[in-house]
Amino acid sequence: MSEAPAETTSPETALLEIRGLQVAFGGFRAIDGVDLTVGRGELRFLIGPNGAGKTTLIDVITGLTRPTAGSVRFEGRDLAGRREHEIVRLGVGRTFQTSVVFEELTVLENLDLAASFRRPLWSLLRRGRGVSEEVAAALETIGLTPLAHSRAGVLSHGQRQWLEIGMLIVQRPRLLLLDEPVAGMASDERERTGELLTEIARDHTVIVVEHDMDFLRRYASQVTVLHEGKVLMEGSVDEVRADPHVQEIYLGRAREGAEDAVR
Amino acid sequence: MTAVEAPAEAPPVVRREPRRWQGPAAFAAVALLALVVAPLLLEPFRLGLLAKYLCYAIVALGIGLAWGQGGMLTLGQGVFFGLGGYAMGMYLKLHDAGGDLPDFMVWSGVEKLPALWTPFGNPVFALAMAVVVPVVVALLLGALVFRQRVRGAYFAILTQALAAALVILLVGQQGLTGGTNGLTNFFDFFGQDLAADETQRGLYLTVAVVLGVLYLGARQLVRSRFGRLLLAVRDGEDRVRFLGYNPATVKTLTFAVSAGMAGIAGALFVPVVGIISPALLGVVPSLELVVGVAVGGRFALAGALLGAVVMGYARTYFSEELPAAWLYLQGALFVLVMTLAPRGIAGLAAGLVRRRREAGT
Repeated sequence: MSEAPAETTSPETALLEIRGLQVAFGGFRAIDGVDLTVGRGELRFLIGPNGAGKTTLIDVITGLTRPTAGSVRFEGRDLAGRREHEIVRLGVGRTFQTSVVFEELTVLENLDLAASFRRPLWSLLRRGRGVSEEVAAALETIGLTPLAHSRAGVLSHGQRQWLEIGMLIVQRPRLLLLDEPVAGMASDERERTGELLTEIARDHTVIVVEHDMDFLRRYASQVTVLHEGKVLMEGSVDEVRADPHVQEIYLGRAREGAEDAVR
Repeated sequence: MTAVEAPAEAPPVVRREPRRWQGPAAFAAVALLALVVAPLLLEPFRLGLLAKYLCYAIVALGIGLAWGQGGMLTLGQGVFFGLGGYAMGMYLKLHDAGGDLPDFMVWSGVEKLPALWTPFGNPVFALAMAVVVPVVVALLLGALVFRQRVRGAYFAILTQALAAALVILLVGQQGLTGGTNGLTNFFDFFGQDLAADETQRGLYLTVAVVLGVLYLGARQLVRSRFGRLLLAVRDGEDRVRFLGYNPATVKTLTFAVSAGMAGIAGALFVPVVGIISPALLGVVPSLELVVGVAVGGRFALAGALLGAVVMGYARTYFSEELPAAWLYLQGALFVLVMTLAPRGIAGLAAGLVRRRREAGT
């Protein structure tokens, strides 16, 4: 896979192509030569122990971190050097580990703002009272319709994550990056998030960073394992779970709950 | 009396937007007070003072937008106020000179009208420049600064430095700007005697109407999608980028609007007060405006306005009675408000209303 040159892969087969990516913070190599190809319509899980470089990878794709070397191509276009909002405008959206919704605005206003970024700036000066179909549908999908007019500041942690996902959907990105969507969630919230994820993955290309093995087992199909800034392996959930290297790094890193993790 | 009234009012039917008529009613009441009652009751000197405070209130409105809504603490609004003021002052000077050199230029030994001054003989040009120059300066500054993600205290210090720099520039160019004295001794304002009570009353009404119109415009801005975007930029600039917006653009435009308001205020201030000078636009007056906005309540546009007027009166009163204590008092007030009531008078009032409503229902 890594021998395939970037130029020959047409954007129809690969939505995202990462080649020879390196990110160094001072002397520390957070990402050390990663190749990754994600096809259109895929739901890809990105796993790995803490410090494996998962979030850094997402940060590079979305323009938050500059790579030291290598290329990131989205639909054939190089993302390197573009600024965050430009990458969003190309069709790449993301959520964050700790959700940052706008607390002073209502749930509806948060979604409306996320849905409006393609409008010309002057048209934002109008009041904009109505609820667009798209926003209403997203509210329904994330299950926050009853809370549409509540300030986002009163939402629970789980609800905030769902709002973030909703804000992502209304942006209509062609690639969604979710950074640990179930971190810190209660089990019923995890379940709800899993269903949401399945629903979104039906008509979106999604990359999910997660190190919750249980969640992975239930909702993942294709998995890429990162370890110390490199791709350790790629494959189906079963292949990954059966792999002795993967077992080793998870067993070696976190003894408690490790059995459960690879079972 | 309030205790009797409160239960008599019907409980709010709509929880989120209680009583739609309240806002317009309050606005109408204030407008009536400002446009009819004040000119009738106040003697010309007091009316002139109020006109001056209302000019400051226009600047405060801009600060409320930039700082309260947009999180840009601008400590140099005096720059834009001054640019607007000088544009107006230059026109008035040329108009009074009637084709000759303005008096201060003669005293400075200038022999020929500087090229910079020539177009300001045209009142339309001068009025346009009072807005255009501040807006363009703010756009340039914003484009440079916000793109580089300069914000918070760094932005505040930068704007303050700009105010200090403008003062130095104005003082240094005696022949061009009137130096420390600034531009003063105006007599005629569009064919009216500036010293006449009638003219001053007309000016007061103009200032009040302009303030009202700008307030409504700013309110519309705050309630639009752009206003929400501005709040979002204030509360999470980095997150806004991932919504696909460029925060630098939002901030630059808002900063330019606030600068334009300050420019208009400066242009109105000159005929009202009769002078524009470096002392009126430097670091200290810029800071005083910000203190006023903080005291009134920076998160509410009306609070910002109120703060400017209250501080204007306080300043006049205390600098007459206790001139030495005023600066300390003002500093202490700022510290008190920021620590105890960060939402200012407007925040305290809103809290009071909310408590009353809750008690009433």
